[in-house]
Amino acid sequence: MEATIEVTGLRKRFGPTVALDGMTFTVTPGKVTGFVGPNGAGKSTTMRAILGLDSVDAGHALVGGRPYRTLRHPLRQVGSLLDAGALQPARTGRNHLLWLAHSQGLGARRVDEVVGQVGLASAIRRRAGSYSLGMRQRLGIAAALLGDPPVLVLDEPVNGMDPEGIRWMRGFLRSLAAEGRAVLVSSHLMSELQDTADHVVIVGRGKVIADVSVADLIESASGDRITLLTTARTQAMTVLAHAGATVAVTGADTLTVSGLSGERVVAVLGENAVPFSEVSAHRASLEEAYMELTRDAVEFHAAVAEEAAR
Amino acid sequence: MKEALHVEWTKLRTVAGTAWLLAAVVLLTVALGVAASAVVSCSGLGCGQDPAKISLTGIAFGQAVVAVLAVLAVGGEYSTGMIRVTFAAIPRRSTVLAAKALVVSGLVSVAGAAAVLVSVLAGRIILPGNGFTEAHGHATLSLADGPVLRAAVGSVLYLVLVGLLALGVATAVRDAAAAIGVVLGLLYLFPIVAAVVSDPDWFKRLQRISPMTAGLAVQATTGVGSLPVSPWAGLGVLGLWAAGALVVGGSLLRWRDA
Ligand SMILES: Nc1ncnc2c1ncn2[C@@H]1O[C@H](COP(=O)(O)OP(=O)(O)OP(=O)(O)O)[C@@H](O)[C@H]1O
Ligand SMILES: [Mg+2]
Repeated sequence: MEATIEVTGLRKRFGPTVALDGMTFTVTPGKVTGFVGPNGAGKSTTMRAILGLDSVDAGHALVGGRPYRTLRHPLRQVGSLLDAGALQPARTGRNHLLWLAHSQGLGARRVDEVVGQVGLASAIRRRAGSYSLGMRQRLGIAAALLGDPPVLVLDEPVNGMDPEGIRWMRGFLRSLAAEGRAVLVSSHLMSELQDTADHVVIVGRGKVIADVSVADLIESASGDRITLLTTARTQAMTVLAHAGATVAVTGADTLTVSGLSGERVVAVLGENAVPFSEVSAHRASLEEAYMELTRDAVEFHAAVAEEAAR
Repeated sequence: MKEALHVEWTKLRTVAGTAWLLAAVVLLTVALGVAASAVVSCSGLGCGQDPAKISLTGIAFGQAVVAVLAVLAVGGEYSTGMIRVTFAAIPRRSTVLAAKALVVSGLVSVAGAAAVLVSVLAGRIILPGNGFTEAHGHATLSLADGPVLRAAVGSVLYLVLVGLLALGVATAVRDAAAAIGVVLGLLYLFPIVAAVVSDPDWFKRLQRISPMTAGLAVQATTGVGSLPVSPWAGLGVLGLWAAGALVVGGSLLRWRDA
């Protein structure tokens, strides 16, 4: 099977709420594709539609060219984790994986392999109800890997994980992509995908706002801006603004300057005897690039503001 | 289908609750059967008592535990959201429901058979001491006796059908507490409502469609002619309820989002 996900024109309403409004994108093999957007953007609904759990009013989703519900042993084609809490607390982690393995014609040996892969061996014979959120996420990843699938669909897999767990997950997702799998990972925080995603599909209000490689996104958002480190922030802002630059404060001692070349910035500061310690070309963070990109999408901006206000 | 059966069997076998509930079905059924056999008495010829029915009194209580067991086989997945994991693994939802129905039926048959055998055996030992003797027109309770065998086998089937009814209802309402309420209401409220209806025709009609009253007609070994519905037809009524619940539950399962 070709390791791809094709989502075409998905539309879905829940009563008066439009959850999906023409969602269209493709996920290709060998990459981690980030699926980003504010709360309520339709990420989870899209993933449920891909997995044949939710029906849609229009459009279709295909994995490896076929609708999910026609797959014979679906977990051997698509591994998924939608909600790490979706298990019965009275059952041990191992038995949870065991029934899933049986559903794909797999046995206990495969269960033990994936348990080792996610580093859960010491806890696997305990009741899943006693697991921490991070352990449940690992169990969910183990379940997604059971069928050794070429495609993975993960809904906010680092949600609730500690920094150590997040670091582990990032490395793990990267290695899965490096093996040639197609990995779709959602998040409502762009920063979570920094150093993980190769490609991002940015969504808002049920449709795609941008579908770009991370490299291009950062490149375009970085622009011709200059990062300036100075202890005399106010003074620097005044003289640079006077020289025609647009200046933004981005940290305690950090300014981001646009509209002037690096040389001009150094010259202006020198002429006015403003002390500074560093002038460098600005490199946008993924989060900044995201904000930049979505600034114009007014609707979307409102949604982000709504989220921030919560 | 074989894989789906294996899945549902593994799910039920790996939660402790299943074994406890099955044990409770047997214990409750036997305990109430023994109690009923112990308190009843037959003073002479034509005392109007049905020894097989008395010894199987516990079925009417064991059925509540069967209902809980069957409801939890579905409701437990909806309350945790695990149903989505199940349908991601086995997208054919009707296959999942059929597998659950078969595994629940199998477990209930085993527990039901144990409960019925012990109940009849207890009746056989206790009842003669309470006047159920040859002299009073009662042969010793024996499964070799056609009607008694029918009552025994029918009681096991009765429990299985209650389990299937509960499974269908739970699939339709997707909430364990609500499903248990609906099933116990259907079973126990029907006879109560029938009892307050004064019109004799309506009384009989209600009894004929009441899943519990009609279904338990299968336990009758005396006065079969005066029953509102014949023994096997009565069990058939319960069968229709169960089939209806499964069809409604199964259809909703197909149409609704998981
Ligand atoms: N089962 C449902 N019933 C009613 N409305 C729903 C349902 N599922 C989703 N919605 C609505 O559809 C919209 C999209 O929700 P969805 O969960 O897909 O967003 P999301 O991008 O995953 O958000 P989050 O970042 O919060 O997880 C929201 O407005 C949500 O309220
Ligand atoms: Mg979501």
